[in-house]
Amino acid sequence: MFDLLKSMLSKTDSKYADLRYEIKKEIKIIFNGKELTQIGSNLTDGYVLRILKNGGLSSVAFTKGIDAEKAIRTAEMNAVLVSENIEEPIRFAKADVVKDTFSPKLEEDPRRISIDEKLELTRKYNNLPLKYEKIATTNIGYMEVIREKYFVNTEGSEIREDLITTRINGLITSRDGNLIQNVRAGTGGSNGFAILRNAQEEFEKKTSIALQLLKAKPVEAGVHNVILNPSLAGVFTHEAFGHFSEADLIEDNPTMRKKMKINAKLGSDILSIIDDPTMPNQLGFYKYDDEGVMARPTQLLKNGVLVGRLHSRRSAAAFREQLSGHCIAQDYRYAPIIRMGNIYIEPDTNTFDDLLATMGNGLYILDAKGGQTSGENFTFGAQYGYIVKNSKLGKMVRDINMSGNLYKTLQNIAVIGSDLVLSKIGGCGKGQLNIRSCHGAPHVFIKNVIIGGV
Amino acid sequence: MEKLLAIAKANSDKVEIFSLEQTINLVKFENSKLKNIECKVQSGISLRLIKDGKLGFSYTKNLINREELLQNALDSLKGGVEATFDFPHTKDLPRLSTYDPSIENISNKNFVDECNRVCKKLSSKTKGQINVSAGSAIDKLRIINSSGTDVLLSTSNYFFHNTILYPNSYAAIHRMLYLKKFEKSPDEYLHFVLDTYNRSLKKVNPKGGKMKVLFMPETMYVLMWRLLSATSGKDVYQKQSPVAEKIGEKIFDEKITIYDDPLNDKMPNARSFDDEGTPCRYLPIIEKGRLKNFYYDLHYSKKMNTKPTGHGYKSAMWGGDTVFLKPTPSLEHLHIKPGTKSFSELIKLMDKGIVVAGALGAHSGNIQNGDFSIGLSPGLYVDNGEIVGHIKDAMIAGNIYNAMKNVIDIEDTCYPVSAGTFPAIIFDNISVATRK
Repeated sequence: MFDLLKSMLSKTDSKYADLRYEIKKEIKIIFNGKELTQIGSNLTDGYVLRILKNGGLSSVAFTKGIDAEKAIRTAEMNAVLVSENIEEPIRFAKADVVKDTFSPKLEEDPRRISIDEKLELTRKYNNLPLKYEKIATTNIGYMEVIREKYFVNTEGSEIREDLITTRINGLITSRDGNLIQNVRAGTGGSNGFAILRNAQEEFEKKTSIALQLLKAKPVEAGVHNVILNPSLAGVFTHEAFGHFSEADLIEDNPTMRKKMKINAKLGSDILSIIDDPTMPNQLGFYKYDDEGVMARPTQLLKNGVLVGRLHSRRSAAAFREQLSGHCIAQDYRYAPIIRMGNIYIEPDTNTFDDLLATMGNGLYILDAKGGQTSGENFTFGAQYGYIVKNSKLGKMVRDINMSGNLYKTLQNIAVIGSDLVLSKIGGCGKGQLNIRSCHGAPHVFIKNVIIGGV
Repeated sequence: MEKLLAIAKANSDKVEIFSLEQTINLVKFENSKLKNIECKVQSGISLRLIKDGKLGFSYTKNLINREELLQNALDSLKGGVEATFDFPHTKDLPRLSTYDPSIENISNKNFVDECNRVCKKLSSKTKGQINVSAGSAIDKLRIINSSGTDVLLSTSNYFFHNTILYPNSYAAIHRMLYLKKFEKSPDEYLHFVLDTYNRSLKKVNPKGGKMKVLFMPETMYVLMWRLLSATSGKDVYQKQSPVAEKIGEKIFDEKITIYDDPLNDKMPNARSFDDEGTPCRYLPIIEKGRLKNFYYDLHYSKKMNTKPTGHGYKSAMWGGDTVFLKPTPSLEHLHIKPGTKSFSELIKLMDKGIVVAGALGAHSGNIQNGDFSIGLSPGLYVDNGEIVGHIKDAMIAGNIYNAMKNVIDIEDTCYPVSAGTFPAIIFDNISVATRK
């Protein structure tokens, strides 16, 4: 394969070019309620070419090998057009030349497990909620994505890496009269099929929460003190802070770039955040990014001070900062962009009870339900929560959406727990989807958060 | 494709082949500077077959190996996905104007020049950061099936996105131009974004509470997603629609009329058939506040014992590759009927309240139940009938079945936005949470 890719690349005389070919194998099994609505295994493939010429960078994604030469001409033309319309030429930070073939260690290779067994396991989990009369429906599926990636560049790198992602997850919907509630449930990872076994407890617990939500009261809108559970605090870390550690998002936004200067004090003294794609067995694990750069752990916030950020070769050169290996594509249909790997708040020494004791009154809110950011402001939902009075958990509440200003909220993080948990299911949309986006945190107590209510 | 149809037919009872070729060009400017040019040339084929009442499905990017594609579809039959429907025999479709050949003579250079022109024009008149993008897409779609359908469609579209950002964020005023061919952005379109931004530049922090809230066309998707969920044949069948029993009932204010209009070829991407080859038609969803219809694909229409409405599309909420997706019910040509007042008249009429210019977190919250709870990104504050500033650290929340009963007035013009073609609408009595 490398020889074919190299012969395609030999048709350009530009300063730098890279070509990524991927074979993507996907298995999908989907249940809507009791009905199986989709099952199948499919194989697709494609190429992404990038060319850096005269200081202009451009990409072409194409599916047919015979179009390679046409793609090269198009990318060259567009790169030159870019170069003619920008003041500062685009440069790439220097990266090592790598020749390597890497397959991750797996606990049970999903490729060796029959689709029938996958179907039966999914059906088993899907049937757990459906036993209950007040569960209206489910939408639960198995997903397996195997990316076999071949990367070559004109500097001489030749990298083959496989990324294997599996999960069983979905939505459990409960209903009582006109009131409809839903809860997300699931498990998954990047280290094999074994993680999907023995997840009954997860589906049973989430079913119980979907049923309890039918009796919960909507949360009262206003400003609250809150404890976030690790899942929700992880989403906060990813949405509110993480995205603005991605250099491409702030590179050409002067006002945000000014705020996100290295050495700026952004958070409270107790807050440290790191992104580390090299953590084995975590969802966001990879060895090389889609520019062929080896991933490295990157400390972003240390005791509240901004000390690093996530880079591509282009942005590392533009910021004159170190390469981090965070330039990732969804698949062969996309040029890579800067993404988080495994981002998390570093744990402290406090127990959950310590957090409750410090907060006294407020809300304990759990599990993410989608989030979004627009720079200094973010919004995200929690699936359920409890009223906390005198440091004790009280009644369940629903319809919880919180919103805040990034910088104020980072300062308002008052206590951090010791119980770090990283996510098992990912799905970050930044123009393209990253199903391996992994985030985590311990329990975290934040003061003065706006809750929208209904 | 014909060959594939023949060999697939020999191995099953019914067959459908969907083929799509796409060329996309995209030019992006950030802070008035060229940032990126991207090109995508993608092809793909998907195969559905039915044998003994079971459905098989497979897809590929390159039709190198027909047997493998067929085998994948035959293998998936074993799962036992039920298929009680038949593929339609579609002919005599209305001729729609969906392709403007002038798109072939337009290059990325034209897009770069247009972006440069707009940035230059706007930057002298505002302090805000200007991000613009321009691009084109050419699609060639063909569907053939064993019932004798062979339908073809070529579409061209051009879009221009104009955005002015508030400091320290991606919160912005933006508007999209969406056409079948390349055209320079008209002045009034540029002026609206500029004027709305400049009026709202001041940061304000008003008191929360219940108040009048105007949704711009650009944020109407927040409300429409909830309605789309409730009126989809899939959600009705799965008993997760709160309006499943309410056909014919008045569920919204009588000023509200919402319909799907795929045949309107003044707009780009008009369709005479859906992604299953079913003929498209005009479908009222809400007429003067009354719930008129649910929308269906082949599968769910059969399940609900009704006729397909021509709304089976291979699309998903988060995009995804058309070829890889199975058709589900979807409204791809949604319109809200406009009212009689201009945007500035609406602001005057509103007197005091919040304009939702950007929304954060529309996908979270209880969509099926009609609930919404979104961050403002930004909200514009209206006082004494004028936009006086913008507000960011705040949320609004409600339920569409309450909000849509409290409609004050509707804008006289519709704009193409991400989920359809909508005017701005003022609602009364929406809950706003701020830090004051």
